[in-house]
Amino acid sequence: MSDDELAKDLGLLSALTIGVGTMIGAGIFVLPGQAAAAAGPAVAISFVIGGVISLFTALSASELGTAMPKAGGSYYYVNHALGPLFGSIAGWGNWMGLAFASAFYTLGFGEYLATFLPLPALVIGPLELSAFQIGALLAGLAFIAVNYVGAKETGGVQVVIVTLLVGILTTFSVLGFLQADLTTLRPFFPSEVGGATAILPATGLIFVSFLGFAKITTVAEELKNPGRNLPLAVVGSVVIVTVMYAIIMVVLMGVINWRQLGPEFTTTPVLDVAEVAFGSVGLAAAGVGLLTFAGLLATASSANASILASSRINFAMGRDKLISAKLNAIHPNFATPYRSIAVTGGLILLFILVGDVKTLAKAGSVLHLIVYGLLNVALIVMREADVAEYQPEFEVPMYPVVPILGALTSFGLIAFMNPIEIGLSLVFVGGGIIWYFAYAREQTDKEGILSEYILDRQETMPDPVVSAAAGVHPDGGTFRVMVPLASPEHERELITLASALAKQRGGTVDAVHIVTVPDQTSLEYAAEHPEEVEEGYHTILDAAKRDAETFGVDVETHTILSHRSFEEVFDAARTHEADLVVMGWGDNSHGSPGRVESAIDDLVTDLACDFLVLKDRGFDPDHILVPTAGGPDSDLSAEVATLLREEYGSRITLLHVSDDREAGETFLDEWATSHDLGDAEQHVETGDVESVIAQAAEDATLVIAGASERGLFTRLVNGSPIVDLVDDIDCSILLAERAHERGVLDRLLGR
Amino acid sequence: MNMLEHVLLPVAHEEDALKTARELEPYDPERVTALHVVEKGGGVPDKTPVEQSEELAQESYAAVRTVFPDADDHTAYGRDVAGKIFEAADEVGASAIAYRSRGGNRLMQFLSGDISLKLVTQAKHPVIALPRVDGEE
Repeated sequence: MSDDELAKDLGLLSALTIGVGTMIGAGIFVLPGQAAAAAGPAVAISFVIGGVISLFTALSASELGTAMPKAGGSYYYVNHALGPLFGSIAGWGNWMGLAFASAFYTLGFGEYLATFLPLPALVIGPLELSAFQIGALLAGLAFIAVNYVGAKETGGVQVVIVTLLVGILTTFSVLGFLQADLTTLRPFFPSEVGGATAILPATGLIFVSFLGFAKITTVAEELKNPGRNLPLAVVGSVVIVTVMYAIIMVVLMGVINWRQLGPEFTTTPVLDVAEVAFGSVGLAAAGVGLLTFAGLLATASSANASILASSRINFAMGRDKLISAKLNAIHPNFATPYRSIAVTGGLILLFILVGDVKTLAKAGSVLHLIVYGLLNVALIVMREADVAEYQPEFEVPMYPVVPILGALTSFGLIAFMNPIEIGLSLVFVGGGIIWYFAYAREQTDKEGILSEYILDRQETMPDPVVSAAAGVHPDGGTFRVMVPLASPEHERELITLASALAKQRGGTVDAVHIVTVPDQTSLEYAAEHPEEVEEGYHTILDAAKRDAETFGVDVETHTILSHRSFEEVFDAARTHEADLVVMGWGDNSHGSPGRVESAIDDLVTDLACDFLVLKDRGFDPDHILVPTAGGPDSDLSAEVATLLREEYGSRITLLHVSDDREAGETFLDEWATSHDLGDAEQHVETGDVESVIAQAAEDATLVIAGASERGLFTRLVNGSPIVDLVDDIDCSILLAERAHERGVLDRLLGR
Repeated sequence: MNMLEHVLLPVAHEEDALKTARELEPYDPERVTALHVVEKGGGVPDKTPVEQSEELAQESYAAVRTVFPDADDHTAYGRDVAGKIFEAADEVGASAIAYRSRGGNRLMQFLSGDISLKLVTQAKHPVIALPRVDGEE
């Protein structure tokens, strides 16, 4: 079995229970009182409408999920299709929506806890905490702790929980139905709540009961046979809970008049009804106990699933660089994304402190509705842009009717919310937009399918559309090439190479002179008396400036005083936000790195940007040899080679060493085409890698070699084979190592 | 049979991998296979996205290769980490399993699912516990 298959361990039942388990907590156990007060018995129709709206989006989410089984679900699709501006909105919206929803579920849990546990009410300063808020805070802390340490719940437990819930609720419905008096349901559209007009606003209130079906898509990559199981699970769980909600609502209001279920009479109407229903068979206390247990279980599993889902969204946003990847660091012992969970947990506790059930539920719903609306739009964009990679195994029926209805109903339902909840959500949408322009636009370089589509068709698209798309286009910041210079010896060659690359990428050159200060001398002293540390310290930068300006590229110069010259290169690359570092390597380049061997490993295990290390024997890009065995570092050598070719019209020869000549030729041909080097000369040789390269290098003026594995610098220090190779070659050699902070996937895709 | 003929090296993350490999280096094993077990929920969503776990695995292998450039790698998926380590040892034909305890007090070990105990009590292969240098972590 391939690794890929091994990673998939969720079957249809598991996927269904994730959906049902996440959804079933809210509608039945927390909201029926509020819902009854909002629309009377007709609220059963509100649940059906909520289910239908969810169904449209569920179908769209299923298609997107089978086409892109990625962690992050809805956020990922929106970001991928509509670009990082909408991605920021969807990401923040989804994240905060989940935090609101978790706070809501946890408050519900607190309400059930308070029915049997004598919890005190507290007043701390201006803050009044009711008994159930205390219960919710304690429960919230527990849920966060469980996710923080990653306590393992088995699939079996999840299935048992959901089966138990469905069983208890079915028993409850049957017994309740026997006690129900259908006349209690009349008038079905009570005039005091506004008759039938109350149905849609009530739908807005109870929509929180349906959040959860999209969570199945966040684990799409773990599903077996996703083409079949994903749509079945997503659509199936929506249908199951809609039917259960509608029946239970009718039963609740058939047993006790809806006016007596409202929040002014009871916080837990389900328990009141349970008392009557189970009372008929002489088990009133047992019934209340059972339903309390079910209420706790349901709200806990919803809260738990939401916290987990929010860390998935953080991960996906971090992967697209819309938030700092630091948030997604994995705990060394627990192997959980602990920071993300802690931040989300803090927000949940805050929302529990300040929010009430209704506002939290609706704010959570509005944010999710925005995401769902965008998700439907994303589907339309993916279909219309006709992207080759977009191959969903499941397609929505009646395209484009379903996604259009999904978008319209999702956005439309928001109109039935109160200004406060819409306002609160707009704060986060606005926050997402501000976030994108203030932070993420500089960081991310991921472009949406939509803007690619528009920018590729500038001719045929209306002008305002093009300029709008160009205006929000991620710029990823200016491309900065940093050149650390230690001695004047190779200054000209390094600056020439850097300038040529910067010119082709429309970037700037940042010449950095790293002056090594002896340990005995303080840096402050050195800064005041630079001439004492290094005579003529500024001449090297002056020369660099002149050389770079001959290319017409912008150049900046900096002097850095440091006790540690070799390590300083890595620090400077980070603080100067370099995209590429071009550095020399040799006796006089950056001290003798051997003495800092232990420190280097720590530095280079996390390379902040691309590195090119030049062993300079005169810079002449006339004939470039690129040996390749594939991999991210040779992607970088290919990029550099094409840039130099554009600048100098260099002749490029590709070399691949393989035991199987035919396979080697196929590989090299594909590699060349995919790296824009299809017209370069191709050589496939057999034999010892080192000697083949050395031989081929005889005709070349410059060899650009990928470091092929991480640890170029470690190997430079330890004198591994590639370093010997450098001595076997007479011309200059450029070693390329790709940044590896960005994650394997990004590197594989060359993003 | 030489115990260091083919050492299976279970590693958890980049830093752990680097330290573990360094501890093993002085004993000069003939062949090394780095192993990362991606913890799976087995029916529930995993605590960490699989994709992120796989990144972690790749980073760990790369860290091992800075010490043993020719090391092979092997990724296993499962709930039972110790069990998967044993399975992997059979699969790659390892002569021994070398690991470095992640330390921590009893509570931390319990919370993070102490695999040391299982490794030493249930193994069908020789298990080498690498020394932990004092002051680490």
